[in-house]
Amino acid sequence: MAAMVAPENTPVWVDTARCKACDICVDACPAGVLSMQQEPTSTLGAMITVIAPDSCIGCGECELVCPDFAIYVAEKKEFKFAKLTDTSKARQEAIANNGYRIPADYK
Amino acid sequence: MAFNYDKYLRVEKMPTLWCWGCGDGVILKSFIRAVDKLGIDQDDMCVVSGIGCSGRFSSYVDFNTVHTTHGRTVAYATGIKLANPDKYVVCVAGDGDALAIGGNHTIHGCRRNIDITFIVINNFIYGLTNSQTSPTTPQGMWTVTQKAGNIDPTFDACELAIASGASFVGRETVNSPKKMEKLILQAIEHKGFSFVEINSNCHINLGRKNKMASAMANLDWIDDITVSKKKYDAMTPEEQLNLLPLGILKQDTEVREYCDMYKEIQEVHQGKRAKLTQDDFEKKI
Amino acid sequence: MATREVISTGNELSAIAAVDAGCTFFGGYPLTPSSEVMHVISDLLPKVGGAAIQMEDEIAGICCVIGAAMSGTRALTATSGPGMSLKAENLGLAQMAEVPLVCVNVMRGGPSTGLPTRVSQGDIKQASNPSHGDYRSITLCAGSLAECYTETVRAFNLADRFMQPVIVLLDETLGHMHGKADLPTVEEVKAGIVPRKTFDGPADEYHPYECGPTDPATLNPMFEGYRYHYTGLHHDKNGFPTEEIETCRKLIQRLEDKVMAHQDEIELNEEFMCDDLTGEDGEVLIIAYGSVSLAAKEAIRHLRADGIKAGLFRPITIWPSPAKKIREMTDKVKNVLCVELNIRQYTEEIERASGRLDLEGLYKVNGRAISPHEIVSKVKEVF
Repeated sequence: MAAMVAPENTPVWVDTARCKACDICVDACPAGVLSMQQEPTSTLGAMITVIAPDSCIGCGECELVCPDFAIYVAEKKEFKFAKLTDTSKARQEAIANNGYRIPADYK
Repeated sequence: MAFNYDKYLRVEKMPTLWCWGCGDGVILKSFIRAVDKLGIDQDDMCVVSGIGCSGRFSSYVDFNTVHTTHGRTVAYATGIKLANPDKYVVCVAGDGDALAIGGNHTIHGCRRNIDITFIVINNFIYGLTNSQTSPTTPQGMWTVTQKAGNIDPTFDACELAIASGASFVGRETVNSPKKMEKLILQAIEHKGFSFVEINSNCHINLGRKNKMASAMANLDWIDDITVSKKKYDAMTPEEQLNLLPLGILKQDTEVREYCDMYKEIQEVHQGKRAKLTQDDFEKKI
Repeated sequence: MATREVISTGNELSAIAAVDAGCTFFGGYPLTPSSEVMHVISDLLPKVGGAAIQMEDEIAGICCVIGAAMSGTRALTATSGPGMSLKAENLGLAQMAEVPLVCVNVMRGGPSTGLPTRVSQGDIKQASNPSHGDYRSITLCAGSLAECYTETVRAFNLADRFMQPVIVLLDETLGHMHGKADLPTVEEVKAGIVPRKTFDGPADEYHPYECGPTDPATLNPMFEGYRYHYTGLHHDKNGFPTEEIETCRKLIQRLEDKVMAHQDEIELNEEFMCDDLTGEDGEVLIIAYGSVSLAAKEAIRHLRADGIKAGLFRPITIWPSPAKKIREMTDKVKNVLCVELNIRQYTEEIERASGRLDLEGLYKVNGRAISPHEIVSKVKEVF
């Protein structure tokens, strides 16, 4: 398999030069790891950000559904991924309900 | 899990010119993963694409690539394949390219059962040229050529392919990248004409004027109109009317592939075997 | 030059020539009066390990040929007027992407369905620009049975030299004429094959469309380690689509200049009994091409027997036209008669090249050949 070695100690990383801020990965993530953030200089005025890497469960959905080769997930053997928690799920719901941006009042 | 797509991409062409959230990119990724799994040498593969957003597919992959005129991918590919029968030839075209202007070539590629994989990206609209009706645009939807509502009926591309003689026919959607990858892999592996329809989202053109302006809404609609073949086969015609079955819809590994048959023609003319007669074929009509 | 005597038809000779010239792929569709080219080559190609395929329509016929040629083979198609019309768009892609191939057009009565089994030269204008846009067509016109063979061979070498389609015009008379032809030997033909140029340096230094302003592209065969892109869009040096202003301008200008700057390699004419034409009164220059030139030559023999000094100028390469030579020949002689099986299609080019508007003409569009007698009568009538 054409394998890409993960940056050290990183569950998921993004290539902001390729991301078009389409929201699909943020929608796909079950654990509230990702969010769009305002970025006036980019295509839709937004850019992908990994906001909660410690919550990443390594499901790889974001990498599978990204149309632009902009997000990658480490292999299970490269990183010890977290388990899905209620906190993560709640954060994901908050993000999804807030136009895929992290709510202002989120802690 | 982190797959090195860059090995198969013309990275200087990134980012793609496709709209944000366009399914074309997801299909491209599944295709690359399938090719990698099969261990195909990049020099042994030719990707032929048509006109449309999906037409840019060929310029993004690092294989031998051809961007043809509208509707003619299968015709060009037939020449490339017949002249180089031991190489891999994959066609990629949209619903307009493959089913409208290219309908005739699609039919005959299927009929010949020549060993080409044809990925038809069906986003139910003409995307690149901004929202004209395609042969798969649902009736009643808004298109720029039928603003009062589309009256053109649709047809099932996979049924067309099956009736025309393709020996491998399948359908998946961009909602299932892993299933797409598996289907494309099986299609390439299959020796014969492999027709693969991928339902994709064009939320910018089809979606925006038809109540699904976001990628997610368009993708949800695709989910709503597709169902596994197993479930589909158990349904009544009324239930089936507004659904497309997913998975492998036909797979015939017995029927002969065109280039293989042509090898026999070469042998006839080289005096190595007798002329073919009807007795050499199971199908007499 | 050694020759061999073959008895055959024009269509068959064209098919044989293609195979002798190294063609290994044919794609086409039946169209009277060209079908025999396909019939014959369908048996010849598989014998030498090549492939011939009857496609589902004329468009598929040219597309599969372009595909095969893109992959690196010498490829042929054969058709008639209606098929040329259908092939036009894709011939344009072959011009734009610089794909070598040979397209034989056995002309018949037109326009439209016209007269399928009868002769005309009605596709002359079309051959100069069958597809939209700016580029230079290379079109050859066989004027004898032997030339159905030799011009097909020349077409393949020109196609590879200039990296574009080359049209070979036959007509129904020549296509179906059965007779004797003195041909070069197969060894001679094979020794004369000049295949397309290829690049053999490192793949990362290969830029297929990077070349001098009067050079053709260098397109390596597929599947050999040089991966690049073909497209009908304006493209950069690696074949990828671009709209950059200078790149686009240079590309289109090069498509024109790669042919026009090297016309000497393409031009071929015959001057029949023209040596003693010195510009005196009563001399006649006949300009004709294709099967009409056979009647013209016979007419000239009759005219000379009647004391009229007549000669024939016959362009064999029709496009680009031998404008300078036409000017030179028509400057020499007062009386010029253009003879064509169409309404003035090449005459208009002769007028343009010669600067003369006083040319006489004999035109026929009823699907019948022009006889030597008709030409003799016309000369005596008008001059």
